[in-house]
Amino acid sequence: MMSARGFAVENLDVQSDGDAVIDFEVTANRPDCMSVIGIARELATAYNVPLRLLEESPASSDTKTDKPGLQIIQLKKTEREDIDVIVEDATLCPRYAGAVVDVSVAPSPSWMQTRLEASGIRPISNIVDVTNYVLLELGHPLHAFDLDKLASARLHIRQSQSGETLHTLDDQDRKLSSEMLVIADTEKPVAIAGVMGGADSEVTRNTKSIILESAYFDPLSVRRTSKLLGIKTEASMRFERGADPELPIIAMGRACALLEAIGAGTARGTVIDRYPKHFESIILQLRRDRISGLLGEIILDADIQQILGNLGFTLESNATGWNVTVPTRRVDVKREVDLIEEIARHYGFDRLPATFPALETPTPPSDPRINQTRQLRKIMTASGFSEAVTFGFIAKPDAKLFSSEDELVPIANPLSESFAILRPSLIPGLIATVAHNRRRQRRDVRVFEIGSKFSRSSGERRSIGYSWTGSALSEHWSNSSRDVDFFDIKTVSEKICEVLDIQTQMQSTHEKWLVPGRSVTLLQDGVALGIFGQLLPSIAESFGLPDDPVYIAEIELDTTEGPTADRNIKVESLPRFPAITRDVSILVDETLAAAQLRKTIVNAAPSTLTEIREFDRYQGTGVAKGKASLSVRLTFQSKKRTLTDAEIQEAMEGILVALVQQHDAVQR
Amino acid sequence: MKSTAPPIRIIVPGRVYRRDNLDLSHTPMFQQVEGLVVGKGITFADLKGTFDAMLRELFGDIKIRFRPSFFPYTEPSAEVDISCKNCEGLGCGICKQTGWLEILGSGMVHPAVFEAVDYDPDCFTGFAFGIGMERVAMLKYGVNDIRMFYENDLRFLEQFPPA
Repeated sequence: MMSARGFAVENLDVQSDGDAVIDFEVTANRPDCMSVIGIARELATAYNVPLRLLEESPASSDTKTDKPGLQIIQLKKTEREDIDVIVEDATLCPRYAGAVVDVSVAPSPSWMQTRLEASGIRPISNIVDVTNYVLLELGHPLHAFDLDKLASARLHIRQSQSGETLHTLDDQDRKLSSEMLVIADTEKPVAIAGVMGGADSEVTRNTKSIILESAYFDPLSVRRTSKLLGIKTEASMRFERGADPELPIIAMGRACALLEAIGAGTARGTVIDRYPKHFESIILQLRRDRISGLLGEIILDADIQQILGNLGFTLESNATGWNVTVPTRRVDVKREVDLIEEIARHYGFDRLPATFPALETPTPPSDPRINQTRQLRKIMTASGFSEAVTFGFIAKPDAKLFSSEDELVPIANPLSESFAILRPSLIPGLIATVAHNRRRQRRDVRVFEIGSKFSRSSGERRSIGYSWTGSALSEHWSNSSRDVDFFDIKTVSEKICEVLDIQTQMQSTHEKWLVPGRSVTLLQDGVALGIFGQLLPSIAESFGLPDDPVYIAEIELDTTEGPTADRNIKVESLPRFPAITRDVSILVDETLAAAQLRKTIVNAAPSTLTEIREFDRYQGTGVAKGKASLSVRLTFQSKKRTLTDAEIQEAMEGILVALVQQHDAVQR
Repeated sequence: MKSTAPPIRIIVPGRVYRRDNLDLSHTPMFQQVEGLVVGKGITFADLKGTFDAMLRELFGDIKIRFRPSFFPYTEPSAEVDISCKNCEGLGCGICKQTGWLEILGSGMVHPAVFEAVDYDPDCFTGFAFGIGMERVAMLKYGVNDIRMFYENDLRFLEQFPPA
């Protein structure tokens, strides 16, 4: 039931005496429920049963019960008697009440100790135990000072002065700073407001009289102080979420009643109540049509009034709904929608209908990047690659290998050295992935990743990275075995460019992390768009990889939107005249790039040349060192007529002359 | 919302980062899908219907419950739980004996969010949600260690069929 009302039951522990400890998860917006009364009010609302509140009894009641009952003592407000309180900062301390109780310190009764222990609070003495008991019962923190240990009977609520220190109850010396609110006697601070008391004024066995403090401190101030000092207490957790400014006197009266009931002390009967900054109750307008408009169901007025009434809201009908007065303890209720939440919560989320949102406009086309990555995933997995996801932050030494240091984007407060830099490239993560799999006896690794990389000058950009090591072919008796080489990674790269619908040129690259001669930069209109090639063996080794080649690549994705769903395709009619093919074998410098060779051929050939295929490349016996033997198949075809042998012969001669002139080619 | 007029229906998948050390159930980087629907007359009932359909599509025959919760940008807020398939809702180690598994956080867009982007909160309503994909994948595929998603061990990756 309580889970359905927003209070998940974390734990349920039935004690030997039949009592049960129920641990509720209370969300950060509900400090009013960090108490027995708060949870009881929710339960009373959930089951629509009356909630029994504390009952006032005469101040000098001498009933000694062995269970707490619901008594509360009405203290008489006084201006100044045995003590005085001066609030110097009404913003940080809107309310401060103090009362004197004459006490005889001893252990508290066992029923109280058992209840405190079950709630995770260590019993200390009857005085301290009563303050903690009230904290659990009403959710309001109290503090007790030993009156005789204070330098004066006058308390000042003020900001700390620089250089002040306090030895706190947890036996630590705390340096205070000026933004912290303290309770001070005429000489020095004796408590950090809302956080923790000082050890010097602690209640001990010899304490005769106490000042009982019951206050309301500014939530932000308590949070800041608690964070600055690194102290989190039951009190600070409640004050920083927001205590109830109307509760101090009630909590004080309850503590006095309990002290008397267990024979721990007698209140002198008066209380000083400084309330310089009065809290006005919030009144909200609640409109019927907003309730149904937000929840999708018309809820009966009677249900609305019952739910809000049980929770302590006061309702007054008006034309469109109600004017609702919010109890001061409900710090979470600031506007109409917060009231609608209360109604929905106690009406029951499960009772509300389930519908689909109505369509108002047609669905716009989805982001082209979605289609782009979908296509890339298809071709990469079809090419035998698995998709990896590596961390967006990497170690600095790894990042420096692939980017200039002034382009690196460091993380201000990294988790550890290995997560210090936003990755400048997907490649280091992929190499680490290859290394991880290699360490697990996996020789053939093909992985890719699609994700963001970061640099100072270009910010965040998406790219695809991939790496291939080990066998080029899947191992099978029908396949000859061969290791991956430059041309394998080139084929994959070309497929990716095709999916991205970009025309690229290849140019040898001088990246310091790639093997020269086995690596290429991909350019589109002169702009570098990607890179692929063999990882420098020394870098591979530094990642713990063995010395067989690791090919890696990375291509930018943000420069192109990739294929649109509807490419502008125009079909050409099929050729009616036959094609003629001619092969040519030449000996050229081994560094000559295929793209350059093609360019020369195209420039020298007539327009009837329709296709160029490099079908063989040979180096070894019979070919001089530094040279390569290339075989190229050229296809000629005309749309208008059958080509003659003579004109093909002429075209071939022209091409050969160009190859000899431009590349020192020798026909074989 | 700053640059777009309503209605809005978007899904935003992406990497998110959090200061958590890597262990069985935590990772400093994970994948989150966030979504937002804004329009005239969008209600909490629409939120319920949408997640009912989405979670049944993802997990098949399950029970779904909506639990009040607190998030700063939504009001009312709901934590959405699915019944634990492992124990058929009876309680087991996976669901910490509750029979339920938290799967996503959601809620009706807080009017203050609309005010911040100059939408009239009396005119427009909406719902928003966030769902962690690792958690969904762990439950759906029976993965018990979140680190598996970032180790990239091929023996793990190859258990998923190609795209």
